[in-house]
Amino acid sequence: MSITVLAFAQSQDTFGFSSKELPCSPEDTPRSLLLRLKPEANLELLRVALDCEFVTWDTPVGSAKELAIIPPVSGG
Amino acid sequence: MLTEIHFTAEPIVIPPEKLPSREIGAAVEFQGIVRELEEGDALAGLFYEAYEPMARRVLQRHFEELAAIHPCAAVCFVHRTGWVPVGEASLFIRVLSSHRKEALAFLGDAIDRLKLDVPIWKRVERPNHG
Repeated sequence: MSITVLAFAQSQDTFGFSSKELPCSPEDTPRSLLLRLKPEANLELLRVALDCEFVTWDTPVGSAKELAIIPPVSGG
Repeated sequence: MLTEIHFTAEPIVIPPEKLPSREIGAAVEFQGIVRELEEGDALAGLFYEAYEPMARRVLQRHFEELAAIHPCAAVCFVHRTGWVPVGEASLFIRVLSSHRKEALAFLGDAIDRLKLDVPIWKRVERPNHG
């Protein structure tokens, strides 16, 4: 299976893409997937969502189709 | 409660006011406008981006929760995306209710929650990643 990883705002600079298709298995977690992409990435200030719902970094991706990296928001 | 959520890459056109009933006694509106000085630096504008499907979902949830606390009849939310020059609105919110107190409280809380977890971002520079 695969998952679409979306990076927004300053996380695009960190990871170097806005959208990327990644091979994964249901047991993978957002943390394991992103550290596979960029081992030195600091996830501390970032949140993550699977299929538009916030989850913890250690939640298995299961059958999710989309993973979004959510830096601190600043709308308005 | 009636809810409208819009994102637009064009300048915000304030939607015409539609009163859902004759019980509306308060219409409260807010516009967020891009200002020149941001943390001491003079800007030409700001670049906004949104993760729209999730932003809609989170906003809808916030509005439903707030309506239970501050009963209101309708909320119309418009957020601009892309480049917004100084002096133009990045955000418009209108809340309708029977009484001003609920509409004002709803509006204030809605903006606070917008800045908490709604996936919308502003950047000083335009992004260059594909």
